[in-house]
Amino acid sequence: MKSSGYQLVMSAMFKGEKGDRPPTGTPTSIACHDLMDATGISFPEAHLNAAAMAELALGGHEIIGFDTVMPEYSVDQEVAALGADVDWGDRNMMPDTKSFLYQDFSDITIPDDFLEKPSMKVLLDALSILRRHVGGSAAIIGKAMGPWTLSYHMAGTQNFLLQIGLGETAKVRKMVEQLIPVTIASVNAQFQAGADIVVVADHATGNLISAEHYAELLLPYHQELTSQIDGPTILHVCGNCSDRLHHFAEAGFNGYHFEWQVDAKNAVEIVDDKMVLIGNVNNPQTLLQGTPEDVYQQARYAIESGVEIIGPECAIPLSTPLENLKAIVAAVQEGY
Amino acid sequence: MSEHLDKIREAIVGGLHNEIEELVSSAVDAAIAPQQIVNEAMIPGMDVVGQKFSTNEIFVPEMLVAAVTMNKGLDLLKPLLQKAGSVSKGTIVMCTVKGDLHDIGKNLVIMMLEGAGFEVIDMGVDMNVETLIAKVKEIKPDILGLSALLTTTLPEMAKVLESLEANGIRNQVKVMIGGAPVDDAYSEKIGADAYGGDAAEAVQIARELITG
Repeated sequence: MKSSGYQLVMSAMFKGEKGDRPPTGTPTSIACHDLMDATGISFPEAHLNAAAMAELALGGHEIIGFDTVMPEYSVDQEVAALGADVDWGDRNMMPDTKSFLYQDFSDITIPDDFLEKPSMKVLLDALSILRRHVGGSAAIIGKAMGPWTLSYHMAGTQNFLLQIGLGETAKVRKMVEQLIPVTIASVNAQFQAGADIVVVADHATGNLISAEHYAELLLPYHQELTSQIDGPTILHVCGNCSDRLHHFAEAGFNGYHFEWQVDAKNAVEIVDDKMVLIGNVNNPQTLLQGTPEDVYQQARYAIESGVEIIGPECAIPLSTPLENLKAIVAAVQEGY
Repeated sequence: MSEHLDKIREAIVGGLHNEIEELVSSAVDAAIAPQQIVNEAMIPGMDVVGQKFSTNEIFVPEMLVAAVTMNKGLDLLKPLLQKAGSVSKGTIVMCTVKGDLHDIGKNLVIMMLEGAGFEVIDMGVDMNVETLIAKVKEIKPDILGLSALLTTTLPEMAKVLESLEANGIRNQVKVMIGGAPVDDAYSEKIGADAYGGDAAEAVQIARELITG
């Protein structure tokens, strides 16, 4: 098989023929200061301007050498379009939601022109720009927040989780149900705009809720969500999710993007026949503070464990050295 | 007496937030000293909650409800404790560092520390170094607790340590740090006094830092 980045990633996504090396890629942010300097594009411009957003993403492919491009660096594009007050941060600070519109769990209003709102339009336009630049040579990944993460932004994370503890599961379900159409609309629009794959980030992490609560309160909605999306999808849930991998495998996503805390061999054993695995080089200790050799070793471990697409475990720290990211690319160049 | 205390402890562990006030009132009516209720029921109850959280027997929702339960009980006891002139186990200033708005971890640590008898001053989120240093100078806490969820905000912890040094007050306050991207190696690297992996460990560390 011809080993263009696009072909390697898409073949891996469908568990197809292997090329001469594993693909590199990440469905979460590749933005770091070194890449900002190399591309001349910085935050917050890269969240707010489609051309800047696309250009910084291109740097991940053209400068670092990853086989994917993914232009959304924040987790706030949808919530801003839903009316939340978002602080778009600066070069050193990721955006964050400043207000929680539905702390009282009242009915959520989804604007009819949700996809036309500036924060969504910028993302969709950036995907179209990327399609014109690297379509067919790098895999273009879109990113949407799942209904669980959107709920954190609507109600406030602590408030939302407290309702689960208080046994107010009807409230929790109602909010999640109301937000599913947002995720579906965002994902489908991103495919139409040019994405080859869309990641759904939904932070039902092992550090926050139990596997039983995931199965009870979110898995059915993930199944509903994936049944209404045609293109290939990746689930991103960070933290140690070893105890719920078997549930993720039933959710209908094509892939799972996972952290170093989940052992790659264990993950492959649990989900390999049902999902493609993407990851899982450690961010804080290895990519941020380690050496290129440390990164190389972890990437090789992932490859040897059977992880299909090799990359960072989550959005990378802003001060990650470029040479450490390039060590992932070096590790895949050695093949399987 | 022990039956009252057992029930309060169990209520905190089980998150029985609708029952705790009645149980505490009933213990007070039975002439159990408020300090004893705190020391022999509430603190041990929160210790169990912390241990269960550490071993993944419970998760954030259950821990939050346990803390709500404890706070309801503590609110009833606070006036009585003040009257009795009870002494705090130490003063701790807590915040998330500049650029980090994620406060669940910090809030859980605060709940556990308060449950363990410490006086905690919550400086909130996204705390700039200058304000923090001014607060430390003003109230001279025993411990300064810094939290970060994002790897992007990790370097802010180092800046706080550097600023404590530059202001000549580093040896006046112990610094403990925590949060998802933090570990022992990072704590050592930036010169913090201790790293806590979770809220229960933070309580243990605070006890050790204060008793020396």
